[in-house]
Amino acid sequence: MDVRQGTLALMVLKTLDVLGPLHGYGIARRIEQISGDLLAVNQGTLYPVLLKLEQEGAIASEWGSSENNRRARFYRLTRDGRKQLQSETRDWEQTAAVIGRFFAVKAEDLK
Amino acid sequence: MRTLRRFLMRLLSWTSTTLDEDRLKSEIEEHLALQTADNLRAGISPAEARRQAVLKFGAVESIKENYRDGRGLPFFEAWLQDTRYALRRLRKSPAFTVTVILTLALGIGATTSIFTLVHAVIMKSLAVANPAELYRLGKESRCCYWGGFSQEGEFSIFSYDLYKHFRDHTEGFEELAAFQAGGALFGVRRSGSTQAAQSYPGEFVSGNYFTMFGIRAYAGRLLAADEDRAGAPPVAVMSYRLWQQQYGSDPSVIGGSFSLDQKSFTVVGITPPGFFGDKLRAIPPDFFLPLASETLLGTAGDLNQPDQYWLDLIGRIRPGAAPASVEADMRVELKQWLRSHWADMDANDRVKFPEQTLFLRPGGAGITSMREEYEHWLEVLMMVSSFVLLIVCANVANLMIVRGMERRRQISLSMALGAQASRLVKQALTESVWLSLAGGVAGLAVAFAGTRLVLHFAFPHIAGMGSVPISASPSMPVLLFAFGISLFTGIAFGIAPAWMATRVDPSEALRGASRSTARTGSLPRKTLVVFQAALSLVLLAASGLLTAALHHLENQDFGFLQDRRTIVRIDPGLAGYEANQLSTLYGRIHDSLSSVPGVWDAAAAMYSPLSGNNWGAGVWVDGQPPPGPHDDNLAFWDRVSAGYFEVIGTPILSGRGIARQDTATSQPVAVINQAFARKYFPHQNPIGKYFGRTEMQSSRVYQVVGITADARYLDSAFDKPVGPFFFLPEPQHDVSPHDGKDIDPGSHFLHDIVVVTQPGAHVSAAQLRQAMASVDPNLPIISVQTLKEQVAGQFRQQRLIARLTSFFGVLSLVLASIGLYGVTAYNAARRTNEIGVRVALGAHRAQVIALVLRGAIGLVAVGLVVGLPVALAAGRFLGSQLYGLNPYDPWVILLAVLTLEFSAFVASLIPAVRASFISPLDALRAE
Repeated sequence: MDVRQGTLALMVLKTLDVLGPLHGYGIARRIEQISGDLLAVNQGTLYPVLLKLEQEGAIASEWGSSENNRRARFYRLTRDGRKQLQSETRDWEQTAAVIGRFFAVKAEDLK
Repeated sequence: MRTLRRFLMRLLSWTSTTLDEDRLKSEIEEHLALQTADNLRAGISPAEARRQAVLKFGAVESIKENYRDGRGLPFFEAWLQDTRYALRRLRKSPAFTVTVILTLALGIGATTSIFTLVHAVIMKSLAVANPAELYRLGKESRCCYWGGFSQEGEFSIFSYDLYKHFRDHTEGFEELAAFQAGGALFGVRRSGSTQAAQSYPGEFVSGNYFTMFGIRAYAGRLLAADEDRAGAPPVAVMSYRLWQQQYGSDPSVIGGSFSLDQKSFTVVGITPPGFFGDKLRAIPPDFFLPLASETLLGTAGDLNQPDQYWLDLIGRIRPGAAPASVEADMRVELKQWLRSHWADMDANDRVKFPEQTLFLRPGGAGITSMREEYEHWLEVLMMVSSFVLLIVCANVANLMIVRGMERRRQISLSMALGAQASRLVKQALTESVWLSLAGGVAGLAVAFAGTRLVLHFAFPHIAGMGSVPISASPSMPVLLFAFGISLFTGIAFGIAPAWMATRVDPSEALRGASRSTARTGSLPRKTLVVFQAALSLVLLAASGLLTAALHHLENQDFGFLQDRRTIVRIDPGLAGYEANQLSTLYGRIHDSLSSVPGVWDAAAAMYSPLSGNNWGAGVWVDGQPPPGPHDDNLAFWDRVSAGYFEVIGTPILSGRGIARQDTATSQPVAVINQAFARKYFPHQNPIGKYFGRTEMQSSRVYQVVGITADARYLDSAFDKPVGPFFFLPEPQHDVSPHDGKDIDPGSHFLHDIVVVTQPGAHVSAAQLRQAMASVDPNLPIISVQTLKEQVAGQFRQQRLIARLTSFFGVLSLVLASIGLYGVTAYNAARRTNEIGVRVALGAHRAQVIALVLRGAIGLVAVGLVVGLPVALAAGRFLGSQLYGLNPYDPWVILLAVLTLEFSAFVASLIPAVRASFISPLDALRAE
C-alpha cells in the first residue's frame, strides 16, 4: 500500500509521541511494525516528510549516538507538534466515525 | 502560519546547502547501515543484506531529489543554475552572442529613438498647467502675417482688434490669450553695457498669457493683464535658459533695465525652466513682451491696424462649457466683427464674407506648426524603423533556430539520462531571456544616442541660442514595446527548437541526423530569409528613391549662382534705424564691403533666395479688370538694391535689372521673372507695360523694365515650377496713387547682404564682419553664411531622411545577407553526402557551386517577388517627399533589385565554394 504523505506525517508524530526521541531508522522500523508491514518498501520516503515536519516546527532534531555508537540524527516532538498531533487525531477520529456510520447504513434505515 | 514558517525555513536553509547535503548523506548511510545490520542479524548473507537494505529504502537518488525539492528554493535555485549555464554557453560562442545582442540593440534602439521623436513632435503637450483644458482657434497654423478681411478655409490668424472683440464678448472662455504667430528677433543689450547688441528670439504676448497658461514665475513675476496697455511702462519677461546661460542666474537681472532694439525695457521676471512657449520650435523664445509694446518696437505698427493679422489665440474654456457651443458663438462674433468693418472691406472681401468661419480645436499641444511640417517625414521614418525591427527579429529568429538545432543531440542525451523536458525547455528559455535582456539594455543606449544624433542633425544647435525642447530620453512605452517584441522573438525562437527536440525519440536523434532525408528543418529559416529579402528590397528601393529625389532637389537649376557668394544677415530695425536712414546705410555697407580685398561686389535684398520667407502681393495688370475674389493673382516679391541680379547670378533675359538710376524720385519700376511674364503678360512683350497691386487699389504703379530667369526664392513646393515673382528697387516706396500712403514701410528693412567674391579669392567671415563694424558697430549681424550653406540648410530634413533610410537599407541588406549565408552554409553541409556522390560521379567544381547558388538565388528571387509590390507601394506612400520624382522610377527599382541579388550572390558564394571543395571520400565517410 502506498501511504500518502499526510498520513505518513501523522504516523511519525504519533510514533515520536509514544516512543519519545528516535532516529530516522528507528521511526521507520516502528511504523513498519505498527502498520503491519504495510510500509515495507520505500522507507526512504520518510526523510522528505521529516524535513517538512521540521520546517513546520512540529519536530526538532539534534545529533546523538545510535545503538552502534555511531552518529545519528534524533528527532523529537515539540510542543507545536504535540498540538498538531492532537488536532489531527481529533479530525481523523471524526472522519472515521462519519464514514463508519455511512458504511453501516442499510437500505431499510433510510426509508 | 505553517506554510509561512516553512517558506522562511526554506529561505534560511538556502544558506546551509552543503551542510544539509552532507547531513542527508550521512543520515541515509546510517539508515542503510542499521538496516543492513538488522538483516545480518536475521540471517541474510552480507551481500544480500546490503542489497535488500537498499531495495527496502527505495530509489536513493530519487529520494534525495525529493528531499532537495523540499528544502531551499528549488525554483530559484534551478533558475540560478540555468542562468549560470546559459551565460557559460553564451560566452563560449561569442560570435553568436555578439551578433544577436548587436542586432537586437540596433533594432530596438532605432525603433525606440524614432518613435520617441514622433511622440515628442506629434504628441508633446505644452509645459503648462492642465493642457487638456486649452483650446486654440484654428485647425492649421497660418504664419505669420495676413491682411485684408478674408481668410480662405478658416480664420486662423487674428488681428489685435479682432482678439479684443473675442476676448470681451465670448462667455465660454475663462481666459483667452493672444500671442504673435511668428516670432521676432530683438537686439538686446543690458543697460550700461558697452558691448554690441546680441540678437535673441522673442515674442509679443497678451497680458493674460501667463495667467491663461497657469505658469508661475521662477523668479520675480510674470506679465500682468493690466500691463498690456498703451502707455504702460515697458516690461519684459526673460526665459530661464537665457538667464542661466547668459547671465549666470544673476539676481540683479530681475528688475534690471535692458535695451531691446534701442528701447528701454525692465525685465520683471524669469519663466520656469522647461517652459518653451506656445509652440514647439527649433529655437524657443527668450523674451516675452506685452502686445502693447509692439508699437514701440514693431516696424509696421501692426497692433492698431484692425486688418493686420499676426496673432494666434489660445484660451482656457470655462469648466462646464461645451467647446462646440463656444465655437458656434465665436463664429457669430466673427461675422459681427467683419460686418462692423464693412466700410473698410474691398469688393472681393465682401463677396467672400459668407464663407468666413473659424474652428475651435484642442490646444494642449499649442500651435502645431512643427507637427504639420514634419508629420509626413515622421510617418516615413516610423515605417522604415518598423521594417528594421522586423528584419532584426527575423535575423534573431534565424540565429536562434540554428543554435537550437546545434543543441539537438545534447538535448536528446539529457533526456535519455532522465532530464525532464520542461527543465530542458526552461534552460533554452533562460538563455533566450538573458540574450534579449542584454539586447534590450544595449538597445536603450542606442536609442538614447540615436535620438540625440537625429535631433542634432535635424535641429542643429546655434551657439548662444536655446535648443529645441525635445528630450532625448527614450519614452518608456516605446522602449517597453520594442523590448517586448524582441523578448517575444527571442523566447519564441529559442524555445521552439528546444521543445521540438524534446519530442523526438532520443535514440533516433542520437543515431545521427544526417541519415534522415527530411528537409523540414530549414523551412522556417528559408521563410525568414525570404521575408528579410523582401523587406530589404523595400528599404533599398525607398532609400534609392529618397536619395535620387534629394539629388534632384540639391542639383536643380535654382536660377541663381551659389559659388563665391556669402550672405550677411542683418536687421537694421534691431539697431533702431528709421526708414529714412536706410538708403544711406545700404550705400555705406555696399562701399565698405566692396572695399574688402577679394570682394567683387555686394547688394542688399529683403530676402535672399531660400532664406525662409517672402512677401506676397495681389497683382493687378494695367488694362485688365480688377481681379475677382476667386482669381488667383498672387505673386511673391522682393526688394533689392542696385546691381542685385549680377551679384546673385540670375541672368537678365530682356530689358535691364534694378540699377542706380532707380531712385526715390524716378519712375517706380519692377523687374519680373519669366513665370510672371507668362502668367500676367501672355503673348506680349511686358517691357514698358504697367501693373499694380490690389492692396494699393491701382493697376498702374510699376513699369516693367526687365525680365529675369526663374529663380527659386520660396522654400516650399519644390515639386512645382517657380511661381510668378517680381523685384522692386530699394529706394522706391510703394505709394498708392489712390490715397498716397506707403503700404509697405517695413519692406525697406533689407535683411540679406549678398557678397560675391572674385574667382580664386578667399574672404573670411571675420573680414566681412569687420567691414560691417566699420559702418556701424552697433548694427548686430545675425549670421554670416555662404549661399551654399543657406541653400543646403533648406534640405536638411530631406538629407537626414535620405541618409537614415539609406543607412537602414544597407543595414537590412547586411542582416539579410548574414541570414542567407547561414542558411546556404547549413543546407550545403546537410547535402555533403549528396555532393560527394555527385563529385564522385564526375561533377565539376563549377557545377557544384552552381548547385548551391541556385538554391540561394532562388530564395532571394522569391523574396523579390514578394517585396516588389510592397516596394512600389512604398514609393506611392512617399509621394510628395519625392518632389516630383517618379515613384515607380525603373532605374531606382532595378538598382535596388540588382544590389540585393548581388549581395545574395556574394553571401552564398563562400559556402558554395567551400562545398565545391568537398572530396567524395570525406563526404561519404563523414556522418
